[in-house]
Amino acid sequence: MDFYIGLLQVIGVHSLLGLSAWCVLHTGQVSLAQGGFFAIGAYGAGMLTAMFGWPLGWALLVAALLSGAVAVAVGFPALRVKGLMLVVATTAFAEIVRLVFFNFSWKVSTPQGLIGPDGGLGFGGIRYFQSNAWSGTEVLLLIWALVAGVMLLLWSLDRTRIGTLWRAVGEDEVAAQSAGISLTAAKVSAFGIGGAIAGLAGGLFSHNTTHIEHGNFTILLATFAIAYPILGGLKSLAGTLVAVVFIQGVLVEGLRFLGDWRSLLFGALILLVMLVRPGGVLGAPLTLPAFLRRQVRRASVMPTERARHA
Amino acid sequence: MQWIDLLDLVQSVFDGVMFGATYALIGIGFTLIFGVMHKINLSYAAASVGAAYLSLLVVQIAPTPLVYLAAALLGGVLGALVYFVCFRFLPLNQPLATLMSTVGMLLVLEEAIVHATAGMPQNYPAAFAGVVFDVGPFMLRGDLMFVFGLGCAAMVGLKLMLEKTRLGLATRAVAQQSVAARLCGMSVSSTNATTFVIAGFLGGTAGAMTGAAIGVLSPLLTLPMTVKGLVVTVIGGLGSIPGAIVAGLVVGGVENLFQFLRGVSERDIYVMLMLFAFLVFRPGGLFAAPGGRD
Repeated sequence: MDFYIGLLQVIGVHSLLGLSAWCVLHTGQVSLAQGGFFAIGAYGAGMLTAMFGWPLGWALLVAALLSGAVAVAVGFPALRVKGLMLVVATTAFAEIVRLVFFNFSWKVSTPQGLIGPDGGLGFGGIRYFQSNAWSGTEVLLLIWALVAGVMLLLWSLDRTRIGTLWRAVGEDEVAAQSAGISLTAAKVSAFGIGGAIAGLAGGLFSHNTTHIEHGNFTILLATFAIAYPILGGLKSLAGTLVAVVFIQGVLVEGLRFLGDWRSLLFGALILLVMLVRPGGVLGAPLTLPAFLRRQVRRASVMPTERARHA
Repeated sequence: MQWIDLLDLVQSVFDGVMFGATYALIGIGFTLIFGVMHKINLSYAAASVGAAYLSLLVVQIAPTPLVYLAAALLGGVLGALVYFVCFRFLPLNQPLATLMSTVGMLLVLEEAIVHATAGMPQNYPAAFAGVVFDVGPFMLRGDLMFVFGLGCAAMVGLKLMLEKTRLGLATRAVAQQSVAARLCGMSVSSTNATTFVIAGFLGGTAGAMTGAAIGVLSPLLTLPMTVKGLVVTVIGGLGSIPGAIVAGLVVGGVENLFQFLRGVSERDIYVMLMLFAFLVFRPGGLFAAPGGRD
């Protein structure tokens, strides 16, 4: 039972991460910076509770706001470029954040002894849940309540003017700009909100695992973050959730019996999904992939054509 | 700063520039593929390291120079494989689809390497490993000079190929205007495939050079090489081969400079900050007209 609770906690945290990437992808930008915002949230919230004894709620709020503020600050220069340049710029940012934490040591003495980030050794002892006697189920409920809250927020945002602006920019920047939409405002706001959600996810992650280190926040994590919405399809929020359950639940945990081969299959399945459903699993109406469709159409069109000519 | 420190500093920058030839090759590969297809192939550096690994299969039966040749050829084969699996059958108007498929390929290649070698780093043959030339107060390491020379040879070969052969002409035509190239009777998809093979040659060479310079191959090389290659591509300017060469050497030099000044754990921060400075002040890269943006 504990195993499944732990798995659901992981799925919840990764759902938040995927939703943060969804915001940015919704405006047509590919950002690999989500891992960096996740790291800022993880270290920030962990330091506030473990080193300074803040209550969790305030720590998560401040971590989310901090990540969001950093995202806005980075977004202004970074979002001037797009496409490959933005991928590289955000990669660089995420690497800078990771390397800063790799070199960051600051310990304070608390009733539990010296606690704080210790460079390459990581940051252990974020034991807020344990010292306040939270059960696994309670942590799980907290995580999923936050997932539900964020999804509700994004769902309603998507139905307001802001969501329309984001989608307009995502569909066609030139058309959006000529309709008088400020590209900078749309992109930076999506980046900021995405950053805040990633920070929240990071705060939950550090409290859930109790020990974090720079190796948790590599480019691979950011790749996963954008993989969820892309694999699930950008049209719906549910797609992100489906993709997280599929990747974390089925691929990472469900295939454990395959041993080493699991991770090999993992990349292959991402490839397969993209080959079969390039718009994401829930992206477009279910149709055959393009290269099969051509043949099917040829097969089905030919007889009628022939009939007409006959 | 002492005189002797200054010597060390110049020495380490110089070593970095030599090693930067590998970054330049990876950067050229990214740039070539971006040039013809306007897509990123994130699995490129992983395929390069993979080709170097595969070339280890011939290390027992062949002399060392053949190992490097095998790495280049296998790089070409992997390049073709990546093209057919990740690009050929995907809709090109969906930029995210090829991005994700190459990420999938990157994971597959990395895991295949880990699986085949049980995650253990493998020794890679180095040429002229013990040779050291003394030039005034500096010394030139034979293995790094060999790596640098190999990189230069690959770049010269690429330049000749692009400018003197019909294949190169087709590649440049597709990169400039793929519709016009098709109207002139060139097959865009086969030109794309050949470009992947050529980029694969360069990548395989770069993988072999990395192995020869460091002495070992490890699956941990793939992500840093991907990141450095992308950094080089952007600093050099997307689609600019001379830019990628200069940027590769500069990144190698700057990396070692900051490794000397600030230590190995902090050096990449400064490389990334340099990239950020470029993105803000010269987003078009080294050789582009200022203000040009993707």
